[in-house]
Amino acid sequence: MSALRGTKVLELAEGVAGEYCGKLLADFGAEVIKLERPGSGSPTRALGPFAAQGDDPERSGLFAFLNTNKYSVTVDLASDDGRETLRQLLGKVDAVIDDHAVDWLCEVGLDPERLEQDWPRLVVASITPFGSTLPEDRTYAQDLNVFHSSGWGYHTPSAPDASKPPLNAAGRFLPSYESGMEAALCIAASLYEQDDSGLGRFIDISMQQVLTARCDYVVAQMVAGEMAVGPERTAYDLAGPAGIFRCRDGYAYIWMSTPQHWDGLRQLLDDNAWMDEFPPNWLERGCTPERVALCRKHVAAWLLTQDKHEVAAQAQKLGLTLVAVNNGRDLQESPQYQHRGFFAEVEHPVQGKALYPTVPYRLSETPACIERPAPLLGEHSDEQLGALADASSGGAA
Amino acid sequence: MSTQQRGGPLQGVRVLELTKVWAGPYVGKLLAYLGAEVIRVESEGSLDVTRTFGVDDIDNAPGWQSVNPQKLSVQINMKSEEGIKLILDLVGECDILVENLRPGAVKRLGLGYETVKAANPEIIYVSMGMWGSDGPLAYQTGYAPCFAALGGISALVGHEPGAPEGMNTRYADSTFGAAAAYAALVALLHRKRSGVGQFVDVSAVECMSSMISDSIMDYALNGVVHECDGNRHPEMAPHGVYPARGGEWVSIAAANGKQWAGLAECMGKPELARDPRFATLADRKANEDELDEMIAVWTAGCCPMELVTKLQKRGVSAAKSQSSLDLIADPHLWVREFYRDVTDPDGNSKPTLGPSWEMSRPAQLGDAAPRLGQHNAYILGEILGLSGEEQETLRASGVTR
Repeated sequence: MSALRGTKVLELAEGVAGEYCGKLLADFGAEVIKLERPGSGSPTRALGPFAAQGDDPERSGLFAFLNTNKYSVTVDLASDDGRETLRQLLGKVDAVIDDHAVDWLCEVGLDPERLEQDWPRLVVASITPFGSTLPEDRTYAQDLNVFHSSGWGYHTPSAPDASKPPLNAAGRFLPSYESGMEAALCIAASLYEQDDSGLGRFIDISMQQVLTARCDYVVAQMVAGEMAVGPERTAYDLAGPAGIFRCRDGYAYIWMSTPQHWDGLRQLLDDNAWMDEFPPNWLERGCTPERVALCRKHVAAWLLTQDKHEVAAQAQKLGLTLVAVNNGRDLQESPQYQHRGFFAEVEHPVQGKALYPTVPYRLSETPACIERPAPLLGEHSDEQLGALADASSGGAA
Repeated sequence: MSTQQRGGPLQGVRVLELTKVWAGPYVGKLLAYLGAEVIRVESEGSLDVTRTFGVDDIDNAPGWQSVNPQKLSVQINMKSEEGIKLILDLVGECDILVENLRPGAVKRLGLGYETVKAANPEIIYVSMGMWGSDGPLAYQTGYAPCFAALGGISALVGHEPGAPEGMNTRYADSTFGAAAAYAALVALLHRKRSGVGQFVDVSAVECMSSMISDSIMDYALNGVVHECDGNRHPEMAPHGVYPARGGEWVSIAAANGKQWAGLAECMGKPELARDPRFATLADRKANEDELDEMIAVWTAGCCPMELVTKLQKRGVSAAKSQSSLDLIADPHLWVREFYRDVTDPDGNSKPTLGPSWEMSRPAQLGDAAPRLGQHNAYILGEILGLSGEEQETLRASGVTR
């Protein structure tokens, strides 16, 4: 049983943000019809990683991940026929996902201002870098630019080397995933209300706001005038000896903020005489730069002699928050991920079998599930458009 | 079940929070911003650390204020048997319960899923743990940067390959909260359509991995392990953060050949777009150090906002890397009312962050975070139907303090 079985969604989106939103709904059983341009299909089909097998446009692992469980219908929205097909589809679905500029939405007949008159039942979610209303100097933005306009970029990494530039988020699309998830949240809430009221809703998601809101604990204090703002790249940082350290077989992250953590570290170290110079509660009450530096020096030397998973397991037993810095291979080999089934084997007709990452939540009654691989370009055009034609001829009769 | 009339898609939904710090409370905040009535259970003996961190006045703690606007607060001591009974009564009047206490804590308290389900068979029970609620590592605990390290995020952020530095240490809690909020609403929708409640088990580490899914896919398909690589992007060049005047920085990304040509024009060197070293994406990737160096020389003496305006006019993706000062002063965020005033319990208004979305028929937002126990009378009296005398007895015996 899937929670969203029976919910119909039209995906006009052609970027990672909108496609991820559609995936989150489709993996819960929503019927997500993805409109693709004839020929090349979604632009994400041209982005890597690529499978060894297959030809364009069916070899993108990115597209394969983002579009599980969806139906692909090719429609040329520049043609009159295409526009008519779109109109018919809009009459059939509960929700629409888009991530083009709002001008584009207006062009295809979904002007947010006219939605209430034209499509009163539709939930329409629009995901854009800065929202539907934007100043001219924010017309063009990639995920990197959104990340840096949100405050996160300038403050990444923590405790930076001032001579080096601030960094991008992890991977290529973190801002898009965050924003796609936020859109899915708003759509689920709107569907909940739509079930009773029969009313639609226009949802205008600003990716910049999604990301800035993800640091509300800090930024809201700054807006309220209760935390200092300034040009420092350390403005979001916490003091202390926490950080990433090299191990024998990779890296580990250590967090220390309490006397219990300090005590755990003492038990782990053979050579701990240097710790006697520190007051037992220094992490809470005497966290001076000198002590932090000395502590980091000793921790660094010690961790170089350790293996990341083993030392993490020992530390956790002593109440010290030390964890491995995992990479893609570690994740797939993780006994915890295997236990929870975070990776699911999916057989793609062109790319073959692979272990896909799934979603971060388990629902006891309606678990998310990949029932079908991402569609081939236009795979469902005949079936879906045929059903439309039947419905309209049935309607005429 | 809520009687509050604030509008929004979740009007009428009631949420009970047994949460701490940031990730759990962020779930309640998102749901409150969508119109739900969200109740935080608190007590004098077990205050959230964000109420006490660095301040004396627990009712005006800035960290607490940031993540708890528009919520209600009730005092119930979870370490008393009577308190647990009260919470179970309250569960009977709620739609969603969210908990992010330490592993095993809710069970020890007598508030595990089975017990709560017996009190309200239709409850949506959202359990949040670093590794999720079960599995060989579920006993482990950590803070946000641990989630990021374990989930594969930290390994991908750093200036040099093989030397991870990680994202800012604040990243992870809110992402975890957003995923939990979405899953909770899917479960709520299912309950509306089927009458069946359920257990929702959310893993912080898995939330982090989800944010780099495409990178993990490369390992799944090709056995390729991604490493940090500065600000590089396999499908765009240039793609970086470049120095500007006065220690400021600007992010520039040429999404395609047209944007690259626009950038070259802005630099006053339109011929670069036809230069064999930089003509195609493959050329630019092959000579990226040289390309970045040239751009940095061009940007270094310039005003960042002038650069952005110039680049945008030519259709190039660019934005200032905003410091906290820039962010708070960002006129666009004020115009969109992302920064907006709420009113605290004393009647003073102060700015905070609104939702990331605008929507038709939104929930009204106006209340700052609650004082400890500010809504005791409403929750114990109106929702649970306890008389004034009964409430006084509970207070005197310490159950509701």
